Amino acid sequence: MTGAPAVEDIVRSEYEHGFTTEIESDTLPPGLDEDVVRAISRRKGEPEFMVEQRLKAYRHWLTMREPEWASVHYPRIDFQSISYYSAPKRPEDMPKSLDEIDPALLETYNKLGIPIEEQKALAGIAVDAVFDSVSVATTFRATLAEAGVIFCSISEALHDYPELVKQYMGSVVPHTDNYYAGLNAAVFSDGTFVYVPKGVRCPMELSTYFRINARNTGQFERTLIIAEAGSYVSYLEGCTAPQRDENQLHAAVVELIAMEDAEIKYSTVQNWYPGDAQGRGGIYNFVTKRGDCRGARSKISWTQVETGSAITWKYPSCILRGEGSVGEFYSVAVTKGRQQADTGTKMIHIGKNTSSTIVSKGISAGEGQQTYRGLVRIGPRAEGARNHTQCDSLLIGDRCTANTFPYIEVKHPSAQMEHEATTSKISDDQLFYCRSRGLNEEDAVSMIVNGFCKEVFNELPMEFAVEAQKLLSISLEGAVG
Amino acid sequence: MNGDPQIGFERWLAEPSAGAAPDWLESFRSGAREDVRARLLPHSKEEAWRYTSVKSLLEQGFAQSDETMTALQPDDLEEILVPGFETHRLVLVNGRYVPELSAPGDWPEGVRVGGLRALLESDPDALRERINATVDEPQPFFSALNTAGLDDGLVVLLGPGAIVERPIELIHLSVGLDEPRVAQPRHIVRLDAAAQATLVERYVSLGNSVYCTNSVVEVSLGRDAILRHERVQMESPNAFHLTGLYLVQDENSHYMGVNIGLGARWARTDLNARFRGRHAECVLRGLYLAGDGQLLDYHLDVDHAVPDCRSQENFKGILHGKGRAVFDGRVLVAKDAQKTDAAMSNRNLMLSEQAEVDTKPRLEIKADDVKCSHGTTVGQIDPEMLFYLRSRGISEPLARRMVCLGFAGEIIETLGSEALREHISEQVGRRLEATSLS
Amino acid sequence: MLSVKGLRANVGDKEILRGLDLEVGPGEVHAIMGPNGSGKSTFAHVLSGRAGYGVTAGSAIFEGRDLFDLEPEERARLGLFLAFQYPVELPGVNNTYFLKAALNSIRKARGESELDAVSFLRLIKERLKILHLDDSLLKRAVNAGFSGGEKKRNEIFQMALLEPRLAILDETDSGLDIDALRVVADGVNALRGPERSMIVVTHYQRLLDYIEPDYVHVLAKGRIIRSGGKELALELEEKGYGWIDAEVEAA
Repeated sequence: MTGAPAVEDIVRSEYEHGFTTEIESDTLPPGLDEDVVRAISRRKGEPEFMVEQRLKAYRHWLTMREPEWASVHYPRIDFQSISYYSAPKRPEDMPKSLDEIDPALLETYNKLGIPIEEQKALAGIAVDAVFDSVSVATTFRATLAEAGVIFCSISEALHDYPELVKQYMGSVVPHTDNYYAGLNAAVFSDGTFVYVPKGVRCPMELSTYFRINARNTGQFERTLIIAEAGSYVSYLEGCTAPQRDENQLHAAVVELIAMEDAEIKYSTVQNWYPGDAQGRGGIYNFVTKRGDCRGARSKISWTQVETGSAITWKYPSCILRGEGSVGEFYSVAVTKGRQQADTGTKMIHIGKNTSSTIVSKGISAGEGQQTYRGLVRIGPRAEGARNHTQCDSLLIGDRCTANTFPYIEVKHPSAQMEHEATTSKISDDQLFYCRSRGLNEEDAVSMIVNGFCKEVFNELPMEFAVEAQKLLSISLEGAVG
Repeated sequence: MNGDPQIGFERWLAEPSAGAAPDWLESFRSGAREDVRARLLPHSKEEAWRYTSVKSLLEQGFAQSDETMTALQPDDLEEILVPGFETHRLVLVNGRYVPELSAPGDWPEGVRVGGLRALLESDPDALRERINATVDEPQPFFSALNTAGLDDGLVVLLGPGAIVERPIELIHLSVGLDEPRVAQPRHIVRLDAAAQATLVERYVSLGNSVYCTNSVVEVSLGRDAILRHERVQMESPNAFHLTGLYLVQDENSHYMGVNIGLGARWARTDLNARFRGRHAECVLRGLYLAGDGQLLDYHLDVDHAVPDCRSQENFKGILHGKGRAVFDGRVLVAKDAQKTDAAMSNRNLMLSEQAEVDTKPRLEIKADDVKCSHGTTVGQIDPEMLFYLRSRGISEPLARRMVCLGFAGEIIETLGSEALREHISEQVGRRLEATSLS
Repeated sequence: MLSVKGLRANVGDKEILRGLDLEVGPGEVHAIMGPNGSGKSTFAHVLSGRAGYGVTAGSAIFEGRDLFDLEPEERARLGLFLAFQYPVELPGVNNTYFLKAALNSIRKARGESELDAVSFLRLIKERLKILHLDDSLLKRAVNAGFSGGEKKRNEIFQMALLEPRLAILDETDSGLDIDALRVVADGVNALRGPERSMIVVTHYQRLLDYIEPDYVHVLAKGRIIRSGGKELALELEEKGYGWIDAEVEAA
């Protein structure tokens, strides 16, 4: 078969979104100690309890050790060489509308192909764009306010709704949870806060575009979403980052809380810079995402399409506490070049008649290394718990690896647990069949891969699904030999 | 026991009391002793021991078992024989081969079967290239312990083309002693090119005493060799049982293994298979039944190191009472092992509120042209099935038993002999009957 | 239309085709028969460009181009169509999407405009009727979960849609019961025309009761050892393939 040259071309293709926008940053010098933690809090004008919480987290973090169990390899991170705060120059002069936004910033978005104005009109999405750790544009606030939905940055929430933040932040992912969550709790920069009151169906999809920019700035986002009884919210998160030589650390924490009959749908398209052909300069994506189904019949659904980052290390999880609560995880992860991903989910069944679904589709090409690691735990009181797991890997090329590590722990007899997994390659027969019908190899691959991922794409909101398919096609065009 | 954990093993590590061993074996033993002393005990932070604690094993303070029990008469074996099971019978008592109790019968040409110690006495170098030939280095903790105490066991050697038609039956019998003892048999099985045999290992006891069996089985199959290997663990309900099976297969060899686990209070079985030649096939099947206070832990490690091999791992378990089971299966496909075909399945039936199962079927794949799958289920008896049987006049307990036996039947019926199939079905049925099956 | 000369081809180290010659003119239907292992399917696959076959000598000129210089999709765009013996499943790949992509890539190569959604659907529904296939097929994934008969009908349906100049039917009758065979054969016959040639590869004479060939060739040990009219098929049916060995030995 020919087509091998095309593979190499595509696999080596430069990162489309690799560019940097020149914006002056008000950045703290690299390094971390208690003074830096205090400085972060002070600059953001946070209430006293937040400073204390950050310091508590920092002191605990000092006692923790970096985890080594994941199947990923990277040079040791020097946490003293990272700058823990950067913000656009004029924080007191935050823009009120798009006109006020720094044109260089808008240009960045234009290059990314996600112009905010168009998005507003196009999809009716409220965008809380995070640029280098501080919110610079928030739209649709009025419509949301009318419905009673709070959608703002964590910094704003700390000013305007400190009690809510105090009550919920850290209640799903405590600072003691893991090394990176601990670090995040100490130095988190900013992030998104969503509060949906009782019985409210959020009138639009909420969306945030993350972007890592200033050199050597670790990004420590913090997202907190609370859905009160009977409410519904769908949240979209999409990301991309400019090209850099140094590895950039991203250690975010996302906490979701769903009360009785509430539903949270959290979708991610992640396309951060994966590094160059030698694997240099990509993003380290070490994220803790966890949802707590506290109320009866509540539902939390994670959908993710992960094509970027040098290293991805994340396990969006659901704690199914409420009786009859539902957790879902739909994931497509692509690793190519020298990308490494150790990802999966945890479904912790605590309450009666809880159910969970896991659909994970992993695609490995080039020298990509991918591990699915999932835990399903059926606790001793989880009568009638159900889980279905489908976990498939597709291999492209002969230098990639795919591992599947499911952990299944069942402590109640009425549990119904099914786990299926397959690993296969795109077969020569499938490719030949498509080509003998006149399709070229790239189209054939893209068609087969999109077919492979269909169950997951079906779970994404429409406009995201289109973006995801496009992303996947770009990532894998011709990556077959 | 609570202080330096290694102290718990000093008695276990006591030198075997048997007569002089060849120098090469003595150096294996002393090397393993040093190795064990230098090592940490298995603990829950190790992936291989995540769900199984060795604490209860340690607390017994097992001591190396010393001399051969010869007080037994062949008649004493009556109750443990399988009716109608015609075999070449070899009996070990507490880890030592006892010719007086064995009935090996005649062997075809090119076949050497007998006690390991006896063979070493007559031909000290016979096993020099065979012992520790298939065990991975560094040896897993309990295999290293076995090496440290290596002294006897069963040897099965088949020359090129040799065929043994009747099953070779190894009965490992444990009888209670004045203090808790550990028996550490090492079985060496080698089939040269195109040889064929069936080996049935049965671990049984007289009485309900506390003891430990820490066996290591080394199996190597030459080109085109075929081995059926059936293992039945029916130790005393107070016993501890460990098996480390190390299998190496050459080109186009076939291994069909069945592991039945019914006995012991605490059992850990590690099955390691490694392909060395292409087009070889390995089938590992298992059935485990864990009731009150029992822990049965199975670890499978299948290494597809070369292309074109097939493996199938199919384990089924029934948990009742406070029974616990662990299944940790790993299939590793090496970078160049193209056209690998591996299918792993672990299905569990939970019959009680207090039972627990932890299952972890893992695939690690570094080649791209492979067909690999794994499936796991954990569930309870389908109420529809129960209802159907009861609507036909069958009592609920019997209906449950029937469903369970049907579930187990898929594995039991792969046993080669009708007599053994009946024996196992009856044992499973009896154990299910004894529990309330609530 | 197709001119095959001195074709030799290997699978691995083994030579399967050993100097095969075949001339197919416009509108002609040629049947290639032969015992198992004679090289029938190899011939079909070599013509359509499947990997794993090494052409060591000879040429196959189709529409003025040597097929062996072309990629599989280029051959398809030139008007060559292979109805597979074992159509592969493409899980998750929607049939309509697949067909549209295939048709438009071929139309584009022919210098025709791409069909819009409406005309495409009209065309597809019209062609479905020829094969007595249900609309629901369009919503399913390509060949996934199809019965054996459905797969074969789907192949001929694709042929109806893609309108090739030369169609190769590789053991299309295998695994079909007599009713299904009739439907498939009717479909094929409906597609016969002065500008469309066909090569029907089969082990059995049965198919040729329904698809009447203009020429019958007997393939043995990688070469065509006899050619004749449709009566040759009947002779084969009567005498079986046993006599071929004798004939090859004698030759």
